[in-house]
Amino acid sequence: MAMVVNGIIADLNLSCYAATTTTTTTFFTTTTNTPTISIDGDRGCNWNDWSPVVDWHAISGGHDDDFQNLVESMMDDNTGLHHPYRFNREGYNSVLSPEPMIVDDKRNDTEDCKGLRLVHLLMAAAEALTGVNKSRDLARVILFRLKELVSPSPNDGTNMERLAAYFTEALQGLLEGASNGVHGKHMFSSGPHHRDDHHQTDILAAFQLLQDMAPYVKFGHFTANQAILEAVAHDRRVHIVDYDIMEGIQWASLMQALVSRKDGALAPHLRITAISRGGPNRRSIGSVQETGRRLVAFAASIGQSFSFHQCKLNFDETFRPSTVKLIKGEALVINCMLNLPHFNYRAPDSVASFLSGSKTLNPRLVTLVEEEMGPMGDGGFMSRFMNYLHHYSAVYDSLQAGFPMQNHACALVERVFLGPRISRSLAQIYRGRGGDNEGCSWGQLLGATGFHQVNISFANHCQAKLLLGLFNDGYRVEELANNKLVLGWKSRRLLSASIWTLPEPDI
Amino acid sequence: MFHPKKPSTMNSHDRPMCVQGDSGLVLTTDPKPRLRWTVELHERFVDAVTQLGGPDKATPKTIMRVMGVKGLTLYHLKSHLQKFRLGKQPHKEFSDHSIKDASALELQRSTASSSGMTGRTMNEMQMEVQRRLHEQLEVQRHLQLRIEAQGKYMQTILEKACQTLAGENMASGSYKGIGNQGVHDISAMKDFGPALNFPSLQDLNLYGSEQLELQQNMERSSLDGLMPTNGNMCLGKKRPSPYGGSGKSPVIWSDDLRLHELGTAPPCLGPQDDPFKGDHEIQIAALSIDRGNDIDCVSDMYETKPILTGDAMGEKRFDNSAKLERPSPRRAPLSTDRMNPVTNTSAMPQGRNSPFGIRSERPVTIVFGWRRCLRNYLYWFQGKF
Repeated sequence: MAMVVNGIIADLNLSCYAATTTTTTTFFTTTTNTPTISIDGDRGCNWNDWSPVVDWHAISGGHDDDFQNLVESMMDDNTGLHHPYRFNREGYNSVLSPEPMIVDDKRNDTEDCKGLRLVHLLMAAAEALTGVNKSRDLARVILFRLKELVSPSPNDGTNMERLAAYFTEALQGLLEGASNGVHGKHMFSSGPHHRDDHHQTDILAAFQLLQDMAPYVKFGHFTANQAILEAVAHDRRVHIVDYDIMEGIQWASLMQALVSRKDGALAPHLRITAISRGGPNRRSIGSVQETGRRLVAFAASIGQSFSFHQCKLNFDETFRPSTVKLIKGEALVINCMLNLPHFNYRAPDSVASFLSGSKTLNPRLVTLVEEEMGPMGDGGFMSRFMNYLHHYSAVYDSLQAGFPMQNHACALVERVFLGPRISRSLAQIYRGRGGDNEGCSWGQLLGATGFHQVNISFANHCQAKLLLGLFNDGYRVEELANNKLVLGWKSRRLLSASIWTLPEPDI
Repeated sequence: MFHPKKPSTMNSHDRPMCVQGDSGLVLTTDPKPRLRWTVELHERFVDAVTQLGGPDKATPKTIMRVMGVKGLTLYHLKSHLQKFRLGKQPHKEFSDHSIKDASALELQRSTASSSGMTGRTMNEMQMEVQRRLHEQLEVQRHLQLRIEAQGKYMQTILEKACQTLAGENMASGSYKGIGNQGVHDISAMKDFGPALNFPSLQDLNLYGSEQLELQQNMERSSLDGLMPTNGNMCLGKKRPSPYGGSGKSPVIWSDDLRLHELGTAPPCLGPQDDPFKGDHEIQIAALSIDRGNDIDCVSDMYETKPILTGDAMGEKRFDNSAKLERPSPRRAPLSTDRMNPVTNTSAMPQGRNSPFGIRSERPVTIVFGWRRCLRNYLYWFQGKF
């Protein structure tokens, strides 16, 4: 990391340090005059405490050349042009190709170079926080440099800059949290991203934008609804337990579908139980009761017989199956939406208790929509960090594809939904807990609990494809593992909707 | 001379009969003798193609040479090879010139490739294709209804939120700085409310940056107390703000407030909207007719503007070439009574693809974009650990 630091120092105009660009493993030339420097936002980092020698070999894990090249490239402004990594693969596409990418004009060159530099800086910061040669001071410096380069503002940020802004903020939070020894749930209670600070209308506007610009919301809802419709085709009563109902928009289209079933059968009576949180600081847009009222009114308007119930979680937000009121003869469906606009990533214990607890209710069907992060494995912080960076850069790109000229719209969605999610995800992997239940997905948890997979029907797959056709070309849907439809953006998988059921009990 | 084995001299019968020529080819005897691809012949064909390196490498000429079957013409091989190639790609996306044709084609391909070209009678295959086609049309119809239902529901939420907001405005009086404009917006929304399907933020496209600036100038002063979020967004760097620095990055706040206002008060036709008024009204009308496709409508409106930043993404799309002609035909199947909004021109040949991957004609430099590098790093980390 020597190169980085030297470079940064040069930028800060500290005349006593020569800016060397030769590859060297020494941190500083030893000098007797070490002036005290006050730097804005530096919080009193004392330069004297820097270690003079970096164990290059230890950092790079034996791949000295690669890493040196990497770090060099961080310093060089012409980074993108002569990059040592000559992989023959696309940034997103998994199709092998011998052609390098082609970019049009000089402005795009700079943008790519800048984007690359940000990536490198973020990696360096993450490495400094958690790598073999942990150095919080180094991380601090790198983050400071990053902050100069990035901004979440829509006015002057490209995708990468805004994305990097949130990652920087998240890393900063990790840095501070580590130094304060704070490991509480509300890590950013003072930051601007804490969900409850968001004005209600912000959230509403962002939610609407998200719906319009990207298929995430609709994909999850429609896939789940289609599976539900198929599963309860012959039932007189349907009961759905929804983990995070938000405004209940998913059920509007389900009700419509129930009412207009082709075979002319009378629509079944629909009952929805919404799980609500006991704690004081919950809610997205109005309360669960508000949602209930709205759903009742909507059902009345289309002639669907409907009733709405609420069920509270325990104070520690775990789920008690006994709180759900069941009626004999009804088809029970468990619905769990964990994807983008939902804020329930804050409570993985709660989700776990809900999913495993629902087994005792013996549901007909379980629909689960979650973010698809790919195999997490035991890669350690860095590989998961890179995974998240890659994941969210795809999300950002896809959002921008939805509203190409409207950076303000994207920025709002990012601020309301993505920023907190990023911070939270990084915090979770930093503290050694997998973003999704220690390295496995919620789907895997369901499988482990004893649920069986339900095949995705042709109609469901077809519907997903048609839905994506309404949005940008870059989206694609694929079927994985029989019971899962995965929505992806240009070869990065983003969201998966999976269907589960319990095996028939032996008589 | 009557050579019973020579197909060309056979009289046509009412039913197509197959005769075997001396080369071993089976030809039908209808007026236009057509080659019948028997299982064996097809197998020989597949062998030859594999020998030549796959359906994309093989050409009719070379296949003919390799197969060495007399009587087999280039014409036969050309059409069979084409069908074979298409049959090999059952994962091709919906190409939507008309969704009916495309899906029929796709279904045919997939059923053909899965069942073998000669494994079934034409009737069976056709029935299968028809069945799937029907199902697909059903799905399409239902999808449209479901999207509409969601839109209607979203409407009720927005109306409710608007009313709450109006109430707040009246009560708090913090809109004094904006004064009439704020209230006017709300009431304007109410008038237009029922007419809009996905209300709100599609109107963002009408609010170009100039518009936002205009609003911001007026609202800046009154915002500081209103928004609960603090101006920590700058992350340390003070960017020069055209509105003067109040130290709290008012630009961001103003944008956001504007946006949420837009979200709850969609058309907000204040006096400053005059330049856009014409377009706006037409758009509203279009939106109210064409319920299911507003997303489409919006995206296309954006793409009529030349977008350079998109190219900076630098992603090359391999399957681009097939999709150049998309915008209008794509939406046709979902809504037959669609009225195209004024600004939506289908003159853009690139359609949806334009920001992503269509190369412009300008001179190029070769760069590895940051996305590719990011992905490579990711693989590196995943591989090593």
